[in-house]
Amino acid sequence: MSLIHIQNLSKHFKILNRREGIGGAFRDLFSGSYRTVEAVAGISFDIEAGEIVGYIGPNGAGKSTTIKMMTGILKPTDGIIQVNGLAPYDNRIRQAQIMGVVFGQRTQLWWDLPVIESFKILKEIYKVDQKMFDRHMNMFNDLVGLKELYSQQVRTLSLGQRMLCDITASFLHNPEVVFLDEPTIGLDISVKAKIRSIIQELNRERNTTIILTTHDLGDVEALCNRIIIIDKGKILYDGEAKQVNTLFGAYRTLKLQINDFNETTLQTLKDKLTGRFGAEHGITVAETEESWTDVTIDQERTPLSDVLSFVMSKFKVFDVRIVEISMENVVRKVYDGALV
Amino acid sequence: MSKYFPVARATYMIGLVYRFGFLFAIVGNFVYLGVAYYLWKSIYHYSDTIRGLTFNETFLYIGLGSAIFILLKTYADWIIHYEIREGAIAMYLTKPIDFQLYALFANLGSLLMNLTAITIPTALIMIFVFKVKFVIGPGLFLFPFSLLLAFLVSFSIDYFIGLLGFYSESVWGLSTTKEIIVTVFSGALIPLQFFPEAIQKVLFWLPFQAIYHTPLMMITRPNQGWDVFLPMLLVQLAWAVILFVLARLFFNQAIKVLRIAGG
Repeated sequence: MSLIHIQNLSKHFKILNRREGIGGAFRDLFSGSYRTVEAVAGISFDIEAGEIVGYIGPNGAGKSTTIKMMTGILKPTDGIIQVNGLAPYDNRIRQAQIMGVVFGQRTQLWWDLPVIESFKILKEIYKVDQKMFDRHMNMFNDLVGLKELYSQQVRTLSLGQRMLCDITASFLHNPEVVFLDEPTIGLDISVKAKIRSIIQELNRERNTTIILTTHDLGDVEALCNRIIIIDKGKILYDGEAKQVNTLFGAYRTLKLQINDFNETTLQTLKDKLTGRFGAEHGITVAETEESWTDVTIDQERTPLSDVLSFVMSKFKVFDVRIVEISMENVVRKVYDGALV
Repeated sequence: MSKYFPVARATYMIGLVYRFGFLFAIVGNFVYLGVAYYLWKSIYHYSDTIRGLTFNETFLYIGLGSAIFILLKTYADWIIHYEIREGAIAMYLTKPIDFQLYALFANLGSLLMNLTAITIPTALIMIFVFKVKFVIGPGLFLFPFSLLLAFLVSFSIDYFIGLLGFYSESVWGLSTTKEIIVTVFSGALIPLQFFPEAIQKVLFWLPFQAIYHTPLMMITRPNQGWDVFLPMLLVQLAWAVILFVLARLFFNQAIKVLRIAGG
């Protein structure tokens, strides 16, 4: 039997339609019209023990809502959800014992106390015995170098240090499954790499199942063997990560700031690119923020350097950035049939 | 149960981190005691007893009342409300703990911190600066038990207000209203004996007197028999149990509307 079993799961929220202005706020006091938002709209999947699954999608896709149902915080509106054979919502305290959770945006550590105190409290809460505790702490110390942080107040930690502590804390009681919600958000490259290697190490060593939500395709590439893409509460793709990586790993986005940008620039750029590289060039052009133009390139078809030098020769460009394809673009391309 | 003790220990330690707050609390309370001392001194200028209370008894009642007031001021309502509004409660819900017990023990830690840092110094100031005389009697030994029950009653009310965070965006109005009702109707501001008979009868049936009036009577009138003390303690115990259970039922109801920002 699979560790996590989800079938036709959905979650609806009722949201009050707020009216405008002070008058509207007063009227909201007495009567309100509600609209239903389908955060998760009928999803199904199974996750086996030991898997690392990337659960990805743009903002508001329903990722966190699903995680909150799996951890027993939210009750599903409809459908079946089982973790280790039990419904998380009805058996919250018992289920919490076999789960570890990290929400990237908040900490489970005690903000005002030295790091080691949080570990001691968690040791009691999860009833970890002293021998296990010592063994875990030694292992984390080897992996992360926690010892130097022991006596430091949590609030004085850097975001990266805090995240390292939070992740190690979530593995302290040796859970069957760990949910990592945006664990690398806001971190620099070197810390990201460290966090990835720790997650990998813990998964390998203990066969812990890991479910990871992220905006960073780098995380997915480095860690996951399986990917589930969700958008607007529905699953767009569920399958091997390798396929997604080979497909989207080849995409790069060239961000250009073009001098004398006006309404016709975008069209001129498009025409010139088609003229130079042909109709099947695999390049899409879009204006994003003010005066920035995104040129997304499939490197399998057209080398990035060619596009760059071509654009530079035809336009006055005063700033250039090259970024990996964003989650939003991945989803757009999946809709366009990229993974079918 | 043992898993909750480290929680109390943690909040006690957090109290130690912010040690300067206590200094201000002690100084502030010293000023309050001074004002109360001269106010009641002038009220007692024309008679030795008012409503059967001597000056010493009244000042003891008021002074210790303020000490208990600070003791019970653990901001549980604000903290719980904040944790619910900010979604931090999700962190607790993913742990194998009962939220009410967790909150109770977290509060107990702050209570013990208040006790060592403010209440005991205040009691010492009353004895050595204002020369208040404590009467020795069996009530003194019941006082700690009564205080513990008072804490449970006070916690349940705070917890209840905090849980309203599931429904309401702002706790300020609720919390201040609660504070005023509790201070006036519990005897923290004026001894309950000073209220008109009719109001006293009503207040007897409300839980607030269990917070201040009962423990304060144990200490200002310690030389009374079990026939007086036992019913007082039982009423307190009953309120402690009733409110704890009600708050628990309310939590089970409120958690159903839980919606944490984000998705």
